[in-house]
Amino acid sequence: MTVTTDGAIITLQGNCGIDDAETLLGFLQAQPAPMVDLTNATHLHGAVLQLLLAFRPPLSGQATDMFTRTWLIPLVRGT
Amino acid sequence: MDELLEQFLIEAPELVQRASDDLIALERDPGDAARIDSAFRAVHTLKGSVALFDFAPMGMALHAAEELLGVVRTKKLSPDNSVITALLDCVSACGAWVESIANSGILPPDAHAQSQRISRALLNHLRADGEASEAASTNMEWVTSLLALESDALVEIRHEKRMVTAVRYVPDHGCFFQGIDPIAPIRAVPHLMALRVEGRTPWSTEGFDPYVCNLVIDLLSAAPVDDVRRIFASTGGQTTVVEIAPGTLPTVSKVARADPRRDATSRMLRVDSERVDALVDILGELIVAKNGLAHLATQAAAVDTRLARALTINQATIDRLVVDMHRALMNLRMVPLARTFRRLPPLVRDIASRLGKRVDLDVMGDDVEADKAVVDGLFEPLLHVLRNAVDHGIEGAAARESGGKLPTGRVTLSASREGDQIAIAVADDGPGIDPAKIRQAAKASGIRSPGVIDGLDDKTTLDLVFAPGLSTASSVTDVSGRGVGMDAVRTAIESLGGRVAINSVLKQGTTVRFTLPQAVVITTVMVVAVGEDEFGVPIDSVVETARVPADRITPIRSGAAFVMRDRTIPLVQLSSLLGLADSQRASSDIKVLVVAVGDQRIGIEVGDFAQRIDVLLRPMTGFLAAMPGILGTALLGDGRVLMILDLPELIG
Repeated sequence: MTVTTDGAIITLQGNCGIDDAETLLGFLQAQPAPMVDLTNATHLHGAVLQLLLAFRPPLSGQATDMFTRTWLIPLVRGT
Repeated sequence: MDELLEQFLIEAPELVQRASDDLIALERDPGDAARIDSAFRAVHTLKGSVALFDFAPMGMALHAAEELLGVVRTKKLSPDNSVITALLDCVSACGAWVESIANSGILPPDAHAQSQRISRALLNHLRADGEASEAASTNMEWVTSLLALESDALVEIRHEKRMVTAVRYVPDHGCFFQGIDPIAPIRAVPHLMALRVEGRTPWSTEGFDPYVCNLVIDLLSAAPVDDVRRIFASTGGQTTVVEIAPGTLPTVSKVARADPRRDATSRMLRVDSERVDALVDILGELIVAKNGLAHLATQAAAVDTRLARALTINQATIDRLVVDMHRALMNLRMVPLARTFRRLPPLVRDIASRLGKRVDLDVMGDDVEADKAVVDGLFEPLLHVLRNAVDHGIEGAAARESGGKLPTGRVTLSASREGDQIAIAVADDGPGIDPAKIRQAAKASGIRSPGVIDGLDDKTTLDLVFAPGLSTASSVTDVSGRGVGMDAVRTAIESLGGRVAINSVLKQGTTVRFTLPQAVVITTVMVVAVGEDEFGVPIDSVVETARVPADRITPIRSGAAFVMRDRTIPLVQLSSLLGLADSQRASSDIKVLVVAVGDQRIGIEVGDFAQRIDVLLRPMTGFLAAMPGILGTALLGDGRVLMILDLPELIG
């Protein structure tokens, strides 16, 4: 499990694959305004990325992985 | 109007023009790298400007043109006739679109369809080229928007003048089930410069299916195209890889654009021609006021000679200043003939191709300057003469070769300065005009009686082509011979204050020559009296003035004539030309203005000659404009209005 939530914040960790997509979707739909922490995410699968693009949750933390930080997070933030 | 758009409307026609010039030059010399570069830059710059506005179809067509030119530039494709035609189609459509934007602020309704047709034609050449086939298979809008979107990230690349690779990857909807992660290859792309990920269909959080891939991934990489292609090799038809040549990257903003021509033109000031015209009007008033001063000096002479002398000296100074100012103002209105000349080559090319002829048009002397009104007014008549030259002047290739000529006809459009006049000549190397055929056509159309026609020498016969109603076209082609003849050309040129002449040598070709004033000048008129009335006659229409003893006048039927230097000159009275009552002749000498009408000299009897004055001729407007025989009016120093007569027209 690399997708967890404490209620208000959904945390993605490590290599987030296709298996995490459905869990993430459940979390995103369960909460009114969830925040997503990508600090320790090393890769986002296309399925995960498109979920984030669709829901555009506010992001907390800056990813340690360079590719995620440089290219994927700006996409989700829409900057 | 929006300032940016205003700037666009000034620049865009120039860029269209430049691209068009370059393309036509390229057709003649396909290896001219400087022309290829220039055309490429023009199209590229235009595309960049278009991107600032909502003219997507224009941007799309220009993008395709740029792609094609990019391939031509790397010498992977030779700009043959069909390539040039496709590019010219695009450029001329852009010209029309710019006009539409200038008139209505929007593109014409058919722009989208037209743009698609143009783009397809352009991209077809790319497809044939093979190398860029992928680029051709799809709408390239995404590349444009991607390049525009990510300009900031591309600054470095732009300076390094490297190739950039653009990729569009649209994974299958079911790719997730096949264990494919579309982001994985993106991570592997070397030198990633820009990344955009969007939904194929707009995202919706309602009923979201996390297992259906809805991604469209666009990216730019500074890596060589082959390296990038290798990464996406397994994705097959889901990926489009496009190589973008250096220099085609969009600019960050209009202001920041480094255009080397800016430095050279930064001293130039673009001024609306209406503002210059307003100055010319004020100058006209000033001339009137100045003439009033002369009048005043004359009056003062009767009262105080010293005051009068001082006034006269003062007036002479103002005189000189007005002349200087007039010259300076007229210089402001001077524009190079290129303004009109440049529009012609694409049209000539088009005419020639419609007639299935091969014609090279040489343009010389387009840097000669003339008044804007003259330069603009030349377009129609020049086009007409060029059309004639291509249609009737140049033979078909077979006829030319059997006549020992090169199969490609040559038409030369040249201009030169001749004193304060400009001379413009359109010369072709065709078969020339046979005077016998003109005589035949003149008799057939009944413009002169057969007797008169037979009596004309060859030179005068040729002049008949300018006569209304004469058409020598043996067949009505698509291009000319529809009855709008050379008489329209003559009328147009004469309305600009010019003259036309034609010269033709059998088997060698025909030359049509225009002589025009370089500037709209202050007209010097001679004031003549008829009874109580005064009229002005432009001095340049008067050959000479003469006093002829009444007993030397010979009545000829209802008219009269006199002999001057062994030449019989018919005499008419100005009063009868104007429909005024005959005035009594005051002396035994008759005062005659000798004027030239065509080759003929005609004497016009006037009551008296008065002074010569400089006036700014105002053309008649409205209802009076249709009045024959009147050139216009001029305001005199004492407030009177002087009618300026058009003697050749009065005589008819």
